[in-house]
Amino acid sequence: MELAYRTKRTAMQKTSQSSPSRRPDNTAYKQQQLPACRVQLTASRVLLCFFATGLSCLAMGIVLLLSAKGIQEVEINYTETCADCAALRENADNFDKECSCSIPFNIPQAMQGDVYMFYKLYGFYQNLYQYVLSRSNIQLVGTDVKHTDGCDPFATLNGTPIAPCGAIANSMFNDTIILSYNFNSSEDIKVPMLNQGIAWWTDKYVKFQNPSFNDLPSAFEGTVKPPSWSQPAYELDADTPENNGFTNDAFIVWMRTAAFPTFKKLYRRLHRTQHFTEGLPAGSYSLHITYNFPVTKFHGEKSVVLSTLTWSGGSSLFLGLAYTVTGAVTWLAFFSMMAVYVTMEKRI
Amino acid sequence: MPLMIISATRVITSLQQEPWMNVCVGDIIKLENNQFVAADLLLLSSSEPHGLCYIETAELDGETNMKVRQAIPVTSELGHISKLAKFDGEVICEPPNNKLDKFSGTLYWKDSKFALSNQNMLLRGCVLRNTEWCFGLVIFAGPDTKLMQNSGRTKFKRTSIDRLMNTLVLWIFGFLVCMGVILAIGNAIWEHEVGTHFQVYLPWDEAVDSAFFSGFLSFWSYIIILNTVVPISLYVRWREGGPSARLRWGPQYPGVPQPDLPLPCSVEVIRLGHSYFINWDKKMFCVKRQTPAEARTTTLNEELGQVEYIFSDKTGTLTQNIMVFNKCSIHGHSYGDMFDLLGHKAELGERPEPIDFSFNPLADNKFVFWDPSLLEAVKTGDPHTHEFFRLLSLCHTVMSEEKDEGELYYKAQSPDEGALVTAARNFGFVFRSRTPKTITVQELGSAITYQLLAILDFNNIRKRMSVIVRNPEGKIRLYCKGADTILLDRLHPSTHELLSATTDHLNEYAGEGLRTLVLAYKDLDEEYYEEWAVRRLQASLAQDSREDRLASVYEEVENDMMLLGATAIEDKLQQGVPETIALLTLANIKIWVLTGDKQETAVNIGYSCKMLTDDMTEVFIVTGHTVLEVREELRKAREKMLDASRTVVNGFPCQEQLSTSKLTSVLEAVAGEYALVINGHSLAHALEADMELEFLETACACKAVICCRVTPLQKAQVVELVKKYKKAVTLAIGDGANDVSMIKTAHIGVGISGQEGIQAVLASDYAFSQFKFLQRLLLVHGRWSYLRMCKFLCYFFYKNFAFTMVHFWFGFFCGFSAQTVYDQYFITLYNIVYTSLPVLAMGVFDQDVPEQRSMEYPKLYEPGQLNLLFNKREFFICIAQGIYTSVLMFFIPYGVFAEATRDDGTQLADYQSFAVTVATSLVIVVSVQIGLDTGYWTAINHFFIWGSLAVYFAILFAMHSNGLFDMFPNQFCFVGNAQNTLAQPAVWLTIVLTTVVCILPVVAFRFLKLSLKPDLSDTVRYTQLVRKKQKAQHRCLRRVGRTGSRRSGYAFSHQEGFGELIMSGKNMRLSSLALSGFTTRSSSSWIESLRRKKSDSAGSPSGTSDKPLKG
Repeated sequence: MELAYRTKRTAMQKTSQSSPSRRPDNTAYKQQQLPACRVQLTASRVLLCFFATGLSCLAMGIVLLLSAKGIQEVEINYTETCADCAALRENADNFDKECSCSIPFNIPQAMQGDVYMFYKLYGFYQNLYQYVLSRSNIQLVGTDVKHTDGCDPFATLNGTPIAPCGAIANSMFNDTIILSYNFNSSEDIKVPMLNQGIAWWTDKYVKFQNPSFNDLPSAFEGTVKPPSWSQPAYELDADTPENNGFTNDAFIVWMRTAAFPTFKKLYRRLHRTQHFTEGLPAGSYSLHITYNFPVTKFHGEKSVVLSTLTWSGGSSLFLGLAYTVTGAVTWLAFFSMMAVYVTMEKRI
Repeated sequence: MPLMIISATRVITSLQQEPWMNVCVGDIIKLENNQFVAADLLLLSSSEPHGLCYIETAELDGETNMKVRQAIPVTSELGHISKLAKFDGEVICEPPNNKLDKFSGTLYWKDSKFALSNQNMLLRGCVLRNTEWCFGLVIFAGPDTKLMQNSGRTKFKRTSIDRLMNTLVLWIFGFLVCMGVILAIGNAIWEHEVGTHFQVYLPWDEAVDSAFFSGFLSFWSYIIILNTVVPISLYVRWREGGPSARLRWGPQYPGVPQPDLPLPCSVEVIRLGHSYFINWDKKMFCVKRQTPAEARTTTLNEELGQVEYIFSDKTGTLTQNIMVFNKCSIHGHSYGDMFDLLGHKAELGERPEPIDFSFNPLADNKFVFWDPSLLEAVKTGDPHTHEFFRLLSLCHTVMSEEKDEGELYYKAQSPDEGALVTAARNFGFVFRSRTPKTITVQELGSAITYQLLAILDFNNIRKRMSVIVRNPEGKIRLYCKGADTILLDRLHPSTHELLSATTDHLNEYAGEGLRTLVLAYKDLDEEYYEEWAVRRLQASLAQDSREDRLASVYEEVENDMMLLGATAIEDKLQQGVPETIALLTLANIKIWVLTGDKQETAVNIGYSCKMLTDDMTEVFIVTGHTVLEVREELRKAREKMLDASRTVVNGFPCQEQLSTSKLTSVLEAVAGEYALVINGHSLAHALEADMELEFLETACACKAVICCRVTPLQKAQVVELVKKYKKAVTLAIGDGANDVSMIKTAHIGVGISGQEGIQAVLASDYAFSQFKFLQRLLLVHGRWSYLRMCKFLCYFFYKNFAFTMVHFWFGFFCGFSAQTVYDQYFITLYNIVYTSLPVLAMGVFDQDVPEQRSMEYPKLYEPGQLNLLFNKREFFICIAQGIYTSVLMFFIPYGVFAEATRDDGTQLADYQSFAVTVATSLVIVVSVQIGLDTGYWTAINHFFIWGSLAVYFAILFAMHSNGLFDMFPNQFCFVGNAQNTLAQPAVWLTIVLTTVVCILPVVAFRFLKLSLKPDLSDTVRYTQLVRKKQKAQHRCLRRVGRTGSRRSGYAFSHQEGFGELIMSGKNMRLSSLALSGFTTRSSSSWIESLRRKKSDSAGSPSGTSDKPLKG
């Protein structure tokens, strides 16, 4: 009783102390007087900004255009050239029939430095909503090789899980492209190419991992290969045993889906040895293509691209042009705004 | 007609304290002096003789004078609890209604009937005055009381921006459906042309059997993806078990993103912030009453920046309801002028010392006067001055009470009269006591008893009152006080010189908005008086037209009077009222005064508030009693205005012809300043359906509108009328219970707190204790709120469109498959984390010009009224900017990525890198944009803007980190994307280019607008030149209204009938009466006449009598 009384009294004292005045606090925050800088679009600032932006955009544009000029690129579209193979592939029953074609071409100027070989697909929609989702990252990271959730409609084949499952994996680009250099008119040299180091480090070592087993085939036991594949995942690269399974570079490259229906993916890097230490010398070359990947059915096209790179990657002219145009327009705007400003000032 | 039956049911044994909520019909409650009446009561008995009881009805109808109520004789003896306990009467009365001045009922008690009228009722909202206690039977309680019946219904208030938003949301929804349809058609075509052939790699779902059905599904998927443009949390969430897994947010996405930051939520946060700023504003804190301003709702703030019409109560809002004896003119000499030139409303602190009244033991300490020369005149024995104060101490109907020796207390029925008698008291002419036949005055220390021969009572036609007294020497003298227009015509010709001097003074006082009365006296012969008294008695006994006869008898004697001087009473305005009104008028806000008080007092206040000025071309007064009269008066007013504007137009040679067909537009552009004063009974006609438009047109063409003698419900009707036809934002401000209805009706209701009643505050949206805070509420808080809200909404739409439309463009590149451009987490976090806080900070803290400037340039308020900052046009501009940004946001990265590769040869144009690039440039662009929009960079803005960017990158890298991927490989499949993509120079070049291209046009556009067509706030920000000019203008304005005026300042809140009451002695306690001298005269007819005259004055005669005002 005594205690209750006392607590009540202290509570009362507290309230009386805490509200001696209802006067609002005189703080900068509450009075909306916070120290602040009022940003103003003054003429000098705006004009200076436009001038500087225009200048830097122009400069950047010119640099980009110049460096894009230095890139050498050769594209060989083999959709038409290999029309026979294409026709063969349109019928799914012929999946086991081999078909290949050769395309000779000429490189007029030596391609200096690192040369990259891409395959380029036209009209292949790797960005379809369902397509992009149709994969199992849990399977690909090696945790559970039989995990096929989300892989519809390529999750299982007659009840057996597919590895790697999903529409992306199933549609993997599986043409074989071999580049030969016509050294002398008689002698063809196979241009040495690297099929590794063409994927991101994080993909190769983090995102894609093989199931931890001593040997790959047993790791993939209990699964079947995707229906469109000719060989199981652990036999993708016969030459390099460690480049197999989910960590196969070509597979990883394919699995990184493209943003647009026309895209090029890195296929091989030039191995700069023998004749090719400086890059690809000028001369005549030929492509030997084992045609497996059907594209004509959906009006797609395929081509092979050989290209060198610069500091900004294999950029096209677009970026340089865009910068140049932006710079030019900004300067134009700068001068017209200057004119407007000066006339307005005079009027005042 | 249904009747109510109320019986005094409760058995009373003792008095109990009960809260108001427990008061029930049939209870008997006791009220004490100065208490609010808790329910509608039937007055049973009171402490005063004859069951009289005085009430102040200012809360109820805004009238400032005291009213008298009387219990019916049978119950007036029930003064004791034991007697009350036996009271078992039954009342049958009308059902609850909103008529404040009518009541009819019957009391059945002791087997007899007693008629009840309004005269026996104490209505809720009144205050008991000058009455120690009274008992009442509760007739109506709670919502049935007349006050509550008048208060109107509470409506849910929404701002115009809210309503606009509703429309816009619908439009956006339509836009969303359009986009959905376009994309669905696209999908159907694509599936038909390409998709069917692509089935080798991606077969259709089992459910999808045709391209058409696929398009249909795609439509719904796009509606879900694109719904981020719709700014409400209308969110379709497709759960598992939907028609097809093809739809988005199917089972594949375990954590379904909820991308829509509920816009209503952030709007509420901003409004809440603004409300707190109002609560915290120390410049809206009233030191005297210790009350800060209070925003009672948090939903209306931005509308405070759009107010066009203010409806103000008078009593207690504009005025303090305190009358102060301010100046007087005695025998051609004016007293009370200040030595300083500051004007009469200077603050107390700035004045010299007030007069010391300590010589007078009976002086009222509260009375203050500043001119010592008046006291000198009294002390030196100036006979005119003595006579002046003698008149004030004799000619009135005040009752005195002296509880202890020397502690005088006056019961005045109007505060004006109280002020006059108190002035006389302090200057040594102390009215001490009265009996029906005598008045005792302590004249400079010596008590003198005058014999009171007659009181010639006040009424609205006469506008004067007189007393006839016989002084101890036996001389009979008539003292008269009244309106100058009336009295100055009745003076003796010999006072001509004095008259002109006094008239000058009167004009001067009137020009200052003071209420003036002229004082005069006349010596009467003994014989003449005797003869006159006989005639008066005859007139008063006449059966027919007694009133007219009396009036003519009075008129006869009140003639050839000697002018004594004039008094000037200040109806004390609340602090800073004229300045506030002037400022608000400059801000193009129209102010209407709606008061229950009399026309004279209302007009007088109109002048003292500078709402009405002598510069005005004309003040129209509408007092018609019939529909036709009112219509005619309104028509005349309009014609006059039209004529005036026509002559002005014709004055210039090349003016286009006025088309009379468009009356409204003509009236809008009327030349000259007009004002309209309309009476309650005329207003009742004017508000009828067929005349309301005419009335509104006329009223809106006037600069000031004053509606007097209006009922609470009429106040609401006027507000409703303006709301209905003008499409303008209205604000009602008031302090009393009679303002509740208009406070509830108006878009914004403001209650003046700290006064006695709190009903107005309880019904209000904003409350503070001084009218002058209104300017700050509107011009500073309201303006900023509106500005901030508009900026916020513009930016909000912009950023959501920029964000969402990218999906639309991407649709054309992904087979319309409802693929999003961004990572699901970005979609979820974009609105609630990455971009919400900077815009919230802007919405809460932004200021375009400092607060002092918005007071200096009231014109800055106009954009809000014209709704310039956020309307459909601005909305489309924002949308266009958003779409423009989205186009660049998509196509620049597309152009770059289409052909490019990374610097190590690997693919650049993969979906994930594209997503990160677009998302990053989007976040940067909208951050730069908010930086441009933010005009007031506080530390908080800096923190939020930089913080948002930092958080974006932090979350980006965290989401794309190896650790998270290891734990949840399916959820965080963007692993390694951030570090790989953002390490590419090409990506950064793209981001920079996108930012530059998105932002520079905005900067250029703003710069050009600034140089070619700057609005006022820009100008205020940039030029000091304009500032000086405006300031000069401002100063000019303050000087207006001090010029001389030819109008009368007469206004007197008085009611007739009290003279008779005094002469009958009914209201005097037996103890204070000299019983011997008391002879019962005539009858108890005084109360009858009091009642009748009151209804008369409310009814007919004022129409003619108000003419002299101006016109």
